[in-house]
Amino acid sequence: MRLACLLLLAGASPGWAEPATFADRVAPVLEHNCTKCHGATKQKAGLRLDSHAAVLAGSKDGEVVKPGDAMASELFRRITLPPADDDFMPSGDRPPLSPAEIAVLENWIAAGTPATDSFDAARLGPAVVAPPAAPDYRPRLAEATELARTLGVRLVPRSRVPTDGLVLRTASAPAACDDAVLAKLAPVAGLIVDAELARTRVTDKGLEAVGRWSNLAHLDLTRTAVTSDGVAQLASLGRLETLNLTGTRVDGRGLTLAGKLPALRRVWTFGGP
Amino acid sequence: MPDIPPDPAAHPCSDHGGEHPTVLDLPHVPLSLKQEWLERETRRHFLARGSKALAWAGLATILGRSAPHLLADVAALPDRRPQFAPKAKRAIYLFMAGAPSQFETWDYKPKLSGMFAQNLPESVRGGQVLTGMTASQSALPIAPSFFKFARRGQSDRWVSELFPWTGKVVDELCVIRSLYTEAINHEPAILSITTGNMFPGKPSLGSWLAYGLGAINEELPTFVVMTSKIPVKTNVQALSNRLWSSGFLSPEYSAVALRSGSEPVLYLRDPKGVGRDVRRAMIAGVNELNRQLFEHVGDPEINTRIAQYEMAFRMQTSVPELTDFSDEPASTWDLYGPRAREPGTYAYNCLMARRLAERGVRFTQIFLRTWDNHTNLPANIRTMCEDSDQPTYGLITDLKRRGMLEDTLVIWGGEFGRTVYSQGRLQPDNYGRDHHPRCFSMWMCGAGTRPGISYGETDDFSYNIVKDPVHVRDLHATILHQFGFDHKKLTFKFQGLDQRLTGVLPARVIREILT
Repeated sequence: MRLACLLLLAGASPGWAEPATFADRVAPVLEHNCTKCHGATKQKAGLRLDSHAAVLAGSKDGEVVKPGDAMASELFRRITLPPADDDFMPSGDRPPLSPAEIAVLENWIAAGTPATDSFDAARLGPAVVAPPAAPDYRPRLAEATELARTLGVRLVPRSRVPTDGLVLRTASAPAACDDAVLAKLAPVAGLIVDAELARTRVTDKGLEAVGRWSNLAHLDLTRTAVTSDGVAQLASLGRLETLNLTGTRVDGRGLTLAGKLPALRRVWTFGGP
Repeated sequence: MPDIPPDPAAHPCSDHGGEHPTVLDLPHVPLSLKQEWLERETRRHFLARGSKALAWAGLATILGRSAPHLLADVAALPDRRPQFAPKAKRAIYLFMAGAPSQFETWDYKPKLSGMFAQNLPESVRGGQVLTGMTASQSALPIAPSFFKFARRGQSDRWVSELFPWTGKVVDELCVIRSLYTEAINHEPAILSITTGNMFPGKPSLGSWLAYGLGAINEELPTFVVMTSKIPVKTNVQALSNRLWSSGFLSPEYSAVALRSGSEPVLYLRDPKGVGRDVRRAMIAGVNELNRQLFEHVGDPEINTRIAQYEMAFRMQTSVPELTDFSDEPASTWDLYGPRAREPGTYAYNCLMARRLAERGVRFTQIFLRTWDNHTNLPANIRTMCEDSDQPTYGLITDLKRRGMLEDTLVIWGGEFGRTVYSQGRLQPDNYGRDHHPRCFSMWMCGAGTRPGISYGETDDFSYNIVKDPVHVRDLHATILHQFGFDHKKLTFKFQGLDQRLTGVLPARVIREILT
């Protein structure tokens, strides 16, 4: 199921050829992600990626693509490292390439880095990289911070990786967070990946809003008044991985419902009925 | 230099509408220097004043009790984001000061039982210099562990009979048996492991995390330390607040040390006859005076003072709730043991650590400090373990059942190891052990550490590491990694260097022990 979603996201369908050329598929990916630092104005490490010849010419340290072998290509290695790695590209706060973009580069290298000949951009399928947790938070961080501030909660980036999403924090004043607050977070809901709602005044009603936070991966409802009816509202959270129901009144029915969440790997119910 | 007659209009003592003179007012100062001063004033002091102004706004709001998170905006001025998604949100460090012996705890050495009282082979010692406490001994007689070991848990690992309780959760633990340090005496070794450097003045691990991550809960300190009542009255290890100081980082990143008596933090209660409103007005007044002083001299330390007043005021509300254990279910006392009701015991501190973690405190460090068993080791270590084994088990079990072990890193260990040979007279049921920096054992659990494994190996004498050595720096790099930081990039400029917890020597994240 998740794989199917990934494929849809990536917009690629393995199994049939998808003819592409350097100019129409590879160059746009490089321009979108790389040429600010490796282009006409800046040439970090002596590398330019703004033309076919420049990519093949490599950097001051040598070739960055090895025609026919993506795994042995420095460029491919750099863009598929964990984002935290020192060598990861793009550097700084720039978001990682999407799986579809990585797939285009991989297929182009695998096809021998043709200059004008077409290659099958779908041959290897989308690259196997972790999908981003959430959309890039940067354009909306100020809005999210301000909205949270007015509601008496906090929304903070989970990390400097802009697609790692935001954490909803309430520990400073749990009593300030109730169902109404959750409903009002709707404008930035897609950015929230971790909701710390322990000891808040949230009830089943508030989980109706949470059920629409499509990128939510972690939900802590410890010592709230939530019941199994609340868990029922979470049914469409396809990315929820952990659900903490410690000290709630969620019973076996709620657990059965939670068990149907496709990505859920841990649920805690200590201190329940 | 020609004598320039004083210009009355530019006299340094002239009154500029109540303002003190600045460098710009001084005669004899070249214009270029004034320009430089002006620039520095702009870059450094303006920034500091900017945050100051925000802090003031935050205080005003807090006094109105309407939006306490405003202070978070002040905290957010430095980049408080981890470099990558963290596995750990908080840590509880069970610091066994004085150095527990690895032989009786986590480094089982069965071959020693057949070598009782044999002299330690010179080939093993390799000419190592010994401390003054045992260097003059005529012999270095091997002392096997007085305590038996048995295989426990699904991971089928050897656990000492001293840990009947912790043995029940051995499958949660990642035991590292190959830690090492350069320091052979307590103070430098404890400083090394708490601050990354054996000289005083460096920020502690908890301070680095507070500086790097900021608070989850602004109503409580980010970094808390608790010392525990001592069950053994000999070989007591000295502790001092430099072990949890912020060093060259701002003092606001130092730990708040909770006291063990009826008042965990002194002076939080309003004095008799002083209402909360009076206290509020007084703190506002003091902070206004501090603010004016800051506007004058631009010293960022004044901001720290203001922040501390604010934290103290907030703790007037948050600490009584924290220390009121009446909401604990009956099962809590079964879990941590009866001593958890007695403030200041290790058991009480373990329970308190869970309550702090629950409320979002980033880093809690519990010190238990009578492991320095130069003499009477069997009797003393038995008492130490009886005091601490069940509470440690209780803490891990409690965190696990509440789902908190998922993102709470628990660390157990001391500052170095102990010798295989006996210090003083060796008897079948009594011996001592001297300091040994070449290898020692610790364990970690939770927050993405690999459960149920042992990492690193020592030789048959637990004298030298034979596989996978882990320096204290590697431990620190690994802990920072779990909090989302590359240890090379969590830095603070001081004395011209980008200072960091792991210093300038190479350090490695021990990825083999991470999930």
